[in-house]
Amino acid sequence: MTTENQTSANKMPVPEKAPSAWERFKETHVWHSFIKDRVAQISLTIFMGYVIMALFAPAIAPFDPYDPTQIDIMNSELPPSWDEEMGDEQFWLGTDAQGRDLWSTILYGTRISLTIGICAVLLQATIGIIIGLIAGYRGGRVDNILMRFADVQLSFSTMMVAIVVLAVFQASFGTELYQDLARIMLVLVIGIAEWPQYARTIRASVLAEKKKEYVDAARVMGLGQMRIMFRHILPNTLSPILVISTVQVANAIISEASLSFLGLGMPVSQPSLGSLISSGFEYIFSGAWWITVIPGIVLVVLVLVMNLLGDWLRDVLNPKLYKG
Amino acid sequence: MPLLEVKNLEVSFGLRSGEVKALRNINFTLDRGERLGLVGESGAGKSVLGFSILNLISKPGRISGGEILFEGKNLADMSPEELRDVRGNRISMIFQDPMMTLNPVLTIGQQMIECLQAHRKISKENARTIAIQKLQQVQIPSPETRIDQYPYELSGGMRQRVVIAIGLLMDPDIIIADEPTTALDVTIQAEIMELMVELCERNNVALILITHDLGVVSQVTQKAIVMYAGRIIEQGPTREIINDAQHPYTQGLMNALPQMAIPGQRLNQIRGAMPSLQKIPTGCAFNPRCDYVRDACTQQLPGYTASGNCQVACHMVAELKQAEQASEGA
Repeated sequence: MTTENQTSANKMPVPEKAPSAWERFKETHVWHSFIKDRVAQISLTIFMGYVIMALFAPAIAPFDPYDPTQIDIMNSELPPSWDEEMGDEQFWLGTDAQGRDLWSTILYGTRISLTIGICAVLLQATIGIIIGLIAGYRGGRVDNILMRFADVQLSFSTMMVAIVVLAVFQASFGTELYQDLARIMLVLVIGIAEWPQYARTIRASVLAEKKKEYVDAARVMGLGQMRIMFRHILPNTLSPILVISTVQVANAIISEASLSFLGLGMPVSQPSLGSLISSGFEYIFSGAWWITVIPGIVLVVLVLVMNLLGDWLRDVLNPKLYKG
Repeated sequence: MPLLEVKNLEVSFGLRSGEVKALRNINFTLDRGERLGLVGESGAGKSVLGFSILNLISKPGRISGGEILFEGKNLADMSPEELRDVRGNRISMIFQDPMMTLNPVLTIGQQMIECLQAHRKISKENARTIAIQKLQQVQIPSPETRIDQYPYELSGGMRQRVVIAIGLLMDPDIIIADEPTTALDVTIQAEIMELMVELCERNNVALILITHDLGVVSQVTQKAIVMYAGRIIEQGPTREIINDAQHPYTQGLMNALPQMAIPGQRLNQIRGAMPSLQKIPTGCAFNPRCDYVRDACTQQLPGYTASGNCQVACHMVAELKQAEQASEGA
């Protein structure tokens, strides 16, 4: 017995299995600061809740707010079910002016708001990253031209551009077509209006990164410019990209809501959170506060949570901001 | 034909205050498998010379004159595509600080495989095998696991080994090592230097070693170049330069070695500092710091005088030699 044990002990140590990605992640600073930070945990939980609501809206929602046959005008403006006089148990958050179940509509609205927000930010990020990388890496005249472009874009406020473009589109192609294309138009407008945010941030970090020796080393290896920019420099600028992405999604959701509130966003037949708030606004003085207030709270919480997550991420990814 | 021949190389930097010549009149040759030391104070132009051999001087600098003939082809006027084919492939470079030269967000394997795939049509698996081989050559233990690690997971010495492995990856003809051991601690310096020499010898790779360390130069190289303010002031076989330096500056450098000092006394230094490239004194650039300065030194740029197998740029060579012989005779 003992000899057996000895031989097995004398054997070469079995090389440790490479740790899985999850195990590696548990060793990181991000994870450690996450399990210590209550606010980040709560924010992420709530945000995940929103994501699940958005993803599974059709399964969760008791009614389909897009299906006119499920709407009964007789049910319009019913207060939430906890109101004992008027409330109806079918509609726990009440109904809107057209008799749609508010809870279902909010679920679908969150879905639309999040989709538009994320898609718009993806578009911003793509344009901004490419332009920022090229401007920062090439420098000189290319940098000047691209950044003046960004300055011009920034000097128009997002809202102004969006209102002009969407209004002109609505006027020239008719409301019918607009309603079909509203989502795409919103993504395009918000995406294009805000790319300079990304371009500037990325250009700044590229300027810092390109002076580092690993870039020289990559050039010495004979790698091409494209490779150096996208494979060597870009991954090193990822932390500011992540941080502004969270903030930008929140901003895009707000922009979408504001545009919808002004009647230039999602049509009333497919309301986003913004158009829902706007549609209830007319009835707020007739006592139907819930049509505006409830989607409003949902929107505020969503944006707040995303901003808190962005704050936390910035603290984690920027070692200079360590709070000790 | 020598492997590398640099002829009358001149590098200038266009600054707001005018053009500054960082390198002037650089001439030397390098044969296959030969090891050359490039010595001088900070700011002498050693690293600029290293970069200009790869035609990688970044703006506002440029090669403003002369030729860099690599196997007879001039690197100074090659197209970017041709240059990419030379860089990393035929001539590679190793930098000072291994903390900075490896990309922090890519694994060692990814960086090596990328370099291989940039120059050869090769599958990922084959590239990985070659990369592991090279890591073995630089004596990294268990390269199969190391290859999937990130640079921060390795120690400084280990990282410099990886950098050397990347330098050797394409079996280049020349390696330019820009102070490859400065950032390492002393015990590891010797190990790394030994390893580099051994690998260069085994693969018949020529080495250009940029350093301030005359000790390393004397141990490692066969030929040496001493630079001052952008010019070569002395070049020749390392042994001759170390044992019998002709130029007062080289002599000063030798005297400044700690080994030359008498215990209990201050170290010998060369007084003054290297002039800024914008304010190079007329005549010999070294004249304000030189103990043997004559009128000629402040008026005329000295040409190269042959002394033994060395080339020396000094007006005083003959005179100094005579004085030396006289003192030996006495």
